[in-house]
Amino acid sequence: MTAMAGAIARGEVGGRLWFYANYHCNLRCTYCLTESAPEVTRRELGREQIVERAREGRELGFTALGVTGGEPFVLEYMPELIAALGSELPTIVLSNATVFNDRRLREMEPLADLPVQVQISLDRPDPDDNDAMRGPENFRKVVEAVPKLVERGIGVRIATTLEDPDAADPHEMERLCDLHRSMGIPDEDHVVRPIISRGRAMSNDMGVLAGFEQLEPELTLTADGAFYSPFAPTVRGGELDTDLLVSRTTKPVREPAEMLARIAGSRPAGNDASIGIR
Amino acid sequence: MVALIDAEQAPILARPYYAGEGPPSPITASLAHVPEVLEATLPFVGRILGPTAIDLRAKEIVILRTSALMECRYCVEAHTTVALDSGLSVGEVCALRGEREVEAVFTNRDELALISWVDEVALGRGAAPEDITARAREVMGDPELVEMTLVVAATLMLNRYCSALGLPTSAATLARLAEEGLA
Repeated sequence: MTAMAGAIARGEVGGRLWFYANYHCNLRCTYCLTESAPEVTRRELGREQIVERAREGRELGFTALGVTGGEPFVLEYMPELIAALGSELPTIVLSNATVFNDRRLREMEPLADLPVQVQISLDRPDPDDNDAMRGPENFRKVVEAVPKLVERGIGVRIATTLEDPDAADPHEMERLCDLHRSMGIPDEDHVVRPIISRGRAMSNDMGVLAGFEQLEPELTLTADGAFYSPFAPTVRGGELDTDLLVSRTTKPVREPAEMLARIAGSRPAGNDASIGIR
Repeated sequence: MVALIDAEQAPILARPYYAGEGPPSPITASLAHVPEVLEATLPFVGRILGPTAIDLRAKEIVILRTSALMECRYCVEAHTTVALDSGLSVGEVCALRGEREVEAVFTNRDELALISWVDEVALGRGAAPEDITARAREVMGDPELVEMTLVVAATLMLNRYCSALGLPTSAATLARLAEEGLA
């Protein structure tokens, strides 16, 4: 067993190895951690680089992979990349599901035979409320895309991000759950999490604070380096946050993985993912 | 030239180097951009330039002289104050900075041999001339010669790093230099 596999088995480090595929996005959500938008610098990690690091991650003992951004699916190669990653380890890819045209959906069909899930953001059961945070037509595009993915046998999760999940209107949440169930998504594939006060959310005075003590250590590789968590490589005022930077080195993966394990081992006892950000 | 990372943005592995009183040094705050390099560099520099078997006065002679030869504004200003705190006089500091004749101020044979060795290591090319080497060997055994040579080399590295990146001298250092008439 490698040192990383041991740290994962003991629960000291999360088993999922995350990749920021890119930073640009077709949307401009009000709570975006990375200030993503159409005009921002792409900062792609690169298809071959991701696959290479994923393979090393599997050898090191990581048990799952994750891909986020930006919007990963604005990159032409994303369906093929996710298929390659899904052939290595169970993979989740986060998406806004607004770029899934017929051609894209056809390209994604091979994902149905792999341990792959597409995690799609849907925050509110009403189009106007949802689109106020995520942009015009977002709700319509999501509720059109999700059934098409489900029909093709592709795994889908719905992620709902709220200012304060504990204060959410239960009737509204019930309508949201009715909606995802109607699209073929069971309750176990619906996650609700708080807005994290980093990036644009912090600029907009939204969300809960999340730092070293609150976040679970999950190695996250980006074009700018390795970070402590997928909630770490955030951007505010156009500047990359470095408070949760682990290293600029991302290859070999063993190096940032060992540094992350060392950091995780230094956390005060009792600290864990106390705000349940998944 | 480069942004200096403040305590709020300090990467996790860099945070121990921000734990002292006041803001971190510009060297720390710039190296924090690359925490894995910072983690290797600062202990290395601290070990070589910090307290060892060689007394701090001798080390500061080496560091300040090297920095002056390399015309590193940041290192000269920072180590002028450290040199004063290590027991060097204002006259000795001025001589090491090239503002007075070394031989007019320093009279100790060991220190004069050390300064010659520093001048050769910092500015020379290829092997050191035999006479300078012989003079150094008269006053330094192998351990001292190795360590002093490495102090020069590490200082050269820092001189180029600080000069190339244009690191700013702290307000406290500038105030002290003004107070001592060495600004």
